[in-house]
Amino acid sequence: MAKPTITTLSLCVALLFGAAACGPSLVIQNVDYAQPLESVLSPDTENQVHDQRYAIKFNISGILQEEGVSSVDEIRLIRSRAGYYFVTASGFNNVYVFETDESELKLENKIEITANGLGQPAFNQRDSHIELVDLATGNTYNLDHNGLR
Amino acid sequence: MKKLLRTAFSTMAALLFVASATVVAQQSDFQIQQDFRAQYNEVVNQVDTAVSTDELVEVAAAIDALEAEYSEYSSIINAAIYPDTFSNRISDLRNRYAAGQANVSTIEQLNERIRDLMAEIDEFRDRVTQMDEEIADLKEQIDRSSANERRQAALIRQYRQNIEQRDEFVSNVLEQLMTRYQELDSATQAEIADAVERMSDNPIELLKTMLAEYTNLADQNSGLEAPDFVRMRAQHGYFADIWNRIGERLANTFAPDNPVEARQEVTDMLAAWQASVDNKLWNALTTAFNQNGIELPPFTSASTFNNALNSYVDNAMEVSMESNNEEDYEVFRNFSNYWNTTVKAQWGELLVNGNILSNSQIAAIDVKLTQWGEAAQPTSNLMFILFLISLAVIIGLVVLLVTKKS
Repeated sequence: MAKPTITTLSLCVALLFGAAACGPSLVIQNVDYAQPLESVLSPDTENQVHDQRYAIKFNISGILQEEGVSSVDEIRLIRSRAGYYFVTASGFNNVYVFETDESELKLENKIEITANGLGQPAFNQRDSHIELVDLATGNTYNLDHNGLR
Repeated sequence: MKKLLRTAFSTMAALLFVASATVVAQQSDFQIQQDFRAQYNEVVNQVDTAVSTDELVEVAAAIDALEAEYSEYSSIINAAIYPDTFSNRISDLRNRYAAGQANVSTIEQLNERIRDLMAEIDEFRDRVTQMDEEIADLKEQIDRSSANERRQAALIRQYRQNIEQRDEFVSNVLEQLMTRYQELDSATQAEIADAVERMSDNPIELLKTMLAEYTNLADQNSGLEAPDFVRMRAQHGYFADIWNRIGERLANTFAPDNPVEARQEVTDMLAAWQASVDNKLWNALTTAFNQNGIELPPFTSASTFNNALNSYVDNAMEVSMESNNEEDYEVFRNFSNYWNTTVKAQWGELLVNGNILSNSQIAAIDVKLTQWGEAAQPTSNLMFILFLISLAVIIGLVVLLVTKKS
């Protein structure tokens, strides 16, 4: 009784491995997703932002809710070399780091920068990190998807 | 020196701007490219609108400053303006600058031409104004000196001379305008038209001033006589002829926005001048003929004047053919003398130029005058008397012969 069961299970496992081996296996390494300049985007009445140049469109309502504000004039968006999107805006306390998935941006990290809100934030692409500058205060922060460096 | 100072100032300002920009430690790459775009557009506008060498010097300094300020950010700018590049933008500015230099050179040549033209027009206007003032002054003196006939006559003589001088001067101006604008090519015409807005005065305005003063002169009652009005008519004919030849070009060149209206305005002023002259001319001619014992039928235009002359000659010739007496012959001699020594000799050219009588109309009167002269010649009785004497002698001889035979 036990023998046929073990045989059946072994066959199933073998089939699964076989199926996995037949799927796509090509992986390209060292992709540079870096967006050389940040995008400054104005949300529409539905809180949709659309970056025509880098071809991305999403809704920022969730971010606004998370930040506890009802609206912003514009948001700053930049993509790191690793492919993470960094989002912030004037008045935000945090920088939101998203990774991409199928029709999704998933929050990877929420980096707290200040408790008083950023004055005039601006992202700059740097070789190994994203630089966040608050032009109002002159403070500079070096970020990656893990947080402040 | 002024140019050097301006260059030095522009360069220093540009360097200061660069220096101040680099002092700022915190920067936004996004803002840098935004600033570059704004400054680039500003320099493009500057170079495209530069109309003088001084402005081009400023543009050259601005291009250098832009390049110096942003060359270290060229990679950021390249990313922002892809597929264009920072170096392409700077090259584009330098190319525009080179094109601007060529344009400015043309503009400055044109400005020079316009300055010369305006100086010339100013000179004409000053001279015309001076002559008008002299004529007005003389007119005032004539009005004041009515008590002294000899003085008034002298002033009228002077007044007449001044008007003739003015006519001569205006004719010279018109001659110069015609020489210059009759053959004006369309490119030059367009160039001058572009610069007209910068001109405070232009030939059309000068012509309008002249016409207004001519009309004013004709309207005044200043002891002028038939020859003066005939001369005015001739001057009008000359003016109208020149305007017909160059009016369209002048209007297209100096009134490019409304050439048709500008032409019509001058044409209307010419018509007003002619009406003012005619208003005096026909009465003055009637008076002149009357004063010489020639009573012409009434006339109020060039054609009716010609009819009046023909009618007078025809009627007089008919009378002469019927009577052949000495009195009629005297009428002929009087008309012939006035016609040949005054009308034809002194006014002939003016009458033709003023479109009062044509050469063929004058010739037609001449032909009639010859016929009239032949018809008016008084017939002699000498032949008849000789015939009677001869007849008497023959009869006498016959009677004598018959008496001797018997």
